[in-house]
Amino acid sequence: MALVAFESLTFSYPQGKREVLSDVNAILEPGEFVLLIGESGCGKTTLLRHLKTALTPHGSRLGTVRFDERLLTAVSSAEQARRIGFVLQNPDNQIVTDKVWHELAFGLESLGIEQAVIRRRVAEMASFFGVGTWYHRDVATLSGGQKQLLNLAAVMTLQPDLLILDEPTAQLDPIAAMEFLAAAKRINDEIGTTVLVSEHRLETAFPLCDRVLVMNAGRLIVDELPRNVGRMLAKTSDPMVAALPTAVKLALALGANSGADLRSTTENPISIREGRAYLRKKLSLACSSQVEVAEVCAGIATSPSETPAADVDVAGVATKMNAPVGESCAGAVCAVMDVGEGGDSAAGMGGSDVADVAGAGVAIATISPSGLRDITTRTVVTTRDREATSVITAQDVWFRYDKNGDDVLRGVDLKVYQGEFACIVGGNGGGKTTTLGVLSGAHKPYRGKLSVLGLDPKKASGLELFRAGLAVLPQDPQTLFMRNTIADDLGDAAAQHYKNPDERRSAVRDAATTVGITQLLERHPYDVSGGEKQRAALAMALLTRPKLLLLDEPTKGMDNPVKTRLAELLQQLTADGLTILMVSHDVEFASVYASRCLLFFDGSVVAEGTPREFFAGNSFYTTAANRLGRGLVPGAVNVTDLVTYCRSLPLKATISQDANGGAR
Amino acid sequence: MRNNEDAFSTLHPTVVFGHFVTVVGVSVVFLHPLILAVSFVGALAYVCYLKGWSGIRKMFPGVLAMMVFAALFNPIFNHRGMTILCYWYDNPITLESILYGLAASLMIGAVLLWFVSYNQVMTSDKFLCVFGRMIPALSLTFSMVLRFLPRYFVQAKHIAAAQRGIGRDVFSGSWYARARHGSAVFSIMLTWALENAVDTSDSMLARGYGLPGRTAYTDFRFRQRDLAAGVTLGGGLLVVIVAIVAGVLRANYFPIFDLNAASYLSWLVIAVWGLICATPLIMGLREEAVWRSLRLNL
Repeated sequence: MALVAFESLTFSYPQGKREVLSDVNAILEPGEFVLLIGESGCGKTTLLRHLKTALTPHGSRLGTVRFDERLLTAVSSAEQARRIGFVLQNPDNQIVTDKVWHELAFGLESLGIEQAVIRRRVAEMASFFGVGTWYHRDVATLSGGQKQLLNLAAVMTLQPDLLILDEPTAQLDPIAAMEFLAAAKRINDEIGTTVLVSEHRLETAFPLCDRVLVMNAGRLIVDELPRNVGRMLAKTSDPMVAALPTAVKLALALGANSGADLRSTTENPISIREGRAYLRKKLSLACSSQVEVAEVCAGIATSPSETPAADVDVAGVATKMNAPVGESCAGAVCAVMDVGEGGDSAAGMGGSDVADVAGAGVAIATISPSGLRDITTRTVVTTRDREATSVITAQDVWFRYDKNGDDVLRGVDLKVYQGEFACIVGGNGGGKTTTLGVLSGAHKPYRGKLSVLGLDPKKASGLELFRAGLAVLPQDPQTLFMRNTIADDLGDAAAQHYKNPDERRSAVRDAATTVGITQLLERHPYDVSGGEKQRAALAMALLTRPKLLLLDEPTKGMDNPVKTRLAELLQQLTADGLTILMVSHDVEFASVYASRCLLFFDGSVVAEGTPREFFAGNSFYTTAANRLGRGLVPGAVNVTDLVTYCRSLPLKATISQDANGGAR
Repeated sequence: MRNNEDAFSTLHPTVVFGHFVTVVGVSVVFLHPLILAVSFVGALAYVCYLKGWSGIRKMFPGVLAMMVFAALFNPIFNHRGMTILCYWYDNPITLESILYGLAASLMIGAVLLWFVSYNQVMTSDKFLCVFGRMIPALSLTFSMVLRFLPRYFVQAKHIAAAQRGIGRDVFSGSWYARARHGSAVFSIMLTWALENAVDTSDSMLARGYGLPGRTAYTDFRFRQRDLAAGVTLGGGLLVVIVAIVAGVLRANYFPIFDLNAASYLSWLVIAVWGLICATPLIMGLREEAVWRSLRLNL
């Protein structure tokens, strides 16, 4: 007996030409934990909102939604309020009242439940979520993670049968996100509530869920067990492939999952732990003669048809994986990738390609555990060369918000060099954002030396720093827009430097082209997606002709494809000479795109280096691929490193293993 | 927050609110010097108890200034009264108006001090508890205002900071530029607020807001102790009101200052009034004494 059933649901907004949902058929069984994924704008939110009449958007609709064997529209609003719980993305906007206890009681008040019952339900939920310690607090004093947990608890007081979570962790830092998802899982496990959650953090969400629904442009393209999703998705050209958990991507690239035993954790890993077991198995099957490696590779280069069929299936995946190999080892490593994917690329290979591949076969012999290290030392040297042109210098900077408060920055030493894309990572409360404030002159440190673009932010008055070429983008780009169209906002931003209206117009057009929003110029800045808002804000900043750009969490709430687009843009800008300092929780993003990473903890920089040396040196605060390969594949920072390493080992063993898998 | 509340603050909000209405109401309505003096001393002592000396030092100068202003204002502008003491710019300064000014000044001092402690004791959720039952809609509105007003201020700060980040500073530049940037912040605020209100209303609808028969939950429970305190305070208030209406305590300022002669009865009424004003302090001190004895017994 299904709790929810979508039956050929098709929907489009009024005057909208395209269908936002087209022919969606899906069923939720009671007690399931179902994950809904898909690129931004693919219709996830629209689909979720169809599960509550009060939130369902207006538009033309075909097909039906059934809840508990009845048409949803026939279920009374009171019953819907009680039995279907909904948590939205923004933690702050959902909270209605000023006290935690009042918020917990809000839904029960609406249903007209009497005091004693409310008291009991609220008490139960506060205990279940560990709200006890902040039960009496003002909502404004809670952290983002606590706020979102409060939203969840406030819905759970109604004891719903179905819990719908619409990107609930998009605005949270990684730790709070993990806690939130764990709480959702606990509700599912211990209370038996059916959960339907849309998420971008697949690394965490995949191992938790029972089933995954994948949407693409309004269609439900995959409805599978988590272990099968990778294989099913790889057959399509869906951008979500790049967002899959590291273990799934690794297994895809190494050509497992030939369909033998779908429930086998070692052949279809989805978590880091399973990924490690999978990797261990792969490695133990391979012997370690380096000479043999080169031979095998050369063999594939000359006769690509030998590549096993399993690889053909997966070949496209690695290219979609968009995990650019960082730094200078890119040349060698990418060539190696081509070797592995010979089955796909062989057809297009001209004579020179073959020569490249042969060269890579030689290069591969040097990629041993120590090989990756060799490469990192080389990048450090180039960093030192740039010493002369540092754009930001901070020496022993101390700052606190008020005289009797605690120090937020405790001796920050940092340098950012010309043309660099530096990234400050670290947990909450480490002082990352405060550092940006200090560098931009918003906060005045009480000790230490500072130099930004040759000026001292402590002494620079008013807008001096900004005239010298500093631009800061806030976490929330909405705080920048004030006009009715993006074009007008960009025009305002340009007014400072481009006095002539014609010049200004062309400058606006140029900036819009650079960030790729020309088609959005006449739209209202609030009507575009989060990623587009971020780009428009970036265009505004660029129109002030900055030399140094400070970014605060630019990837917050973005899904993988959108992040990639932003990263490419930022890299383009640094290539053109702009210096970027970014603050982020997003370790994966920093590991792939930053040129240097700095770890902030307890108010100062505790470690720094190129992403490769930085993340290879960390054990826990690091990329999923590094954790997956820890102790097995030394120095690996992203999936490509893992794949390369595995392929660099004698392939015959692996190939035969795959062949066996296929035959089984 | 409900940490470290004194004994009086832990009473049910309706009792606490009733007490404040009583002390402030009687002080404002009956300008009897003794009533006022007792009220003033009671209020001052309770503020001292709540905030300690450092707290008193911070706010007392302001209260004193208001009191001095009231004491001076009345004789200068009010020329009623029989006993002319002197002339000031051809205007008579009367004894009665001076005394009336002093009484008014005591009254203002007492009321201000009661409000200082009221501010600390009657938190917004207690206020809501008192009014929520009468008008549930109002209680929710009030709670939402308390939630959103501070948020708007915080957001205005964020916007000003963000605008500065792309070279528009609300706090520098020409007068015209600052005004323009200031209005920009306001305009962004407005759009932002409207945009986010959509989310809030979705969240309210999702939790059944708008269904008929909404109740107003309060986290406070009316206990035996609250009933006892309420009845005692009510009885005391009745005594004082009856005594004043019956003329046991009477004070006339104009045309001539006149108090009725002291009687046992009037002293008794003053004593009852004193008890009412001192209740918060007595409750606090009593509980501290209990704590001390408990510690001694350990």
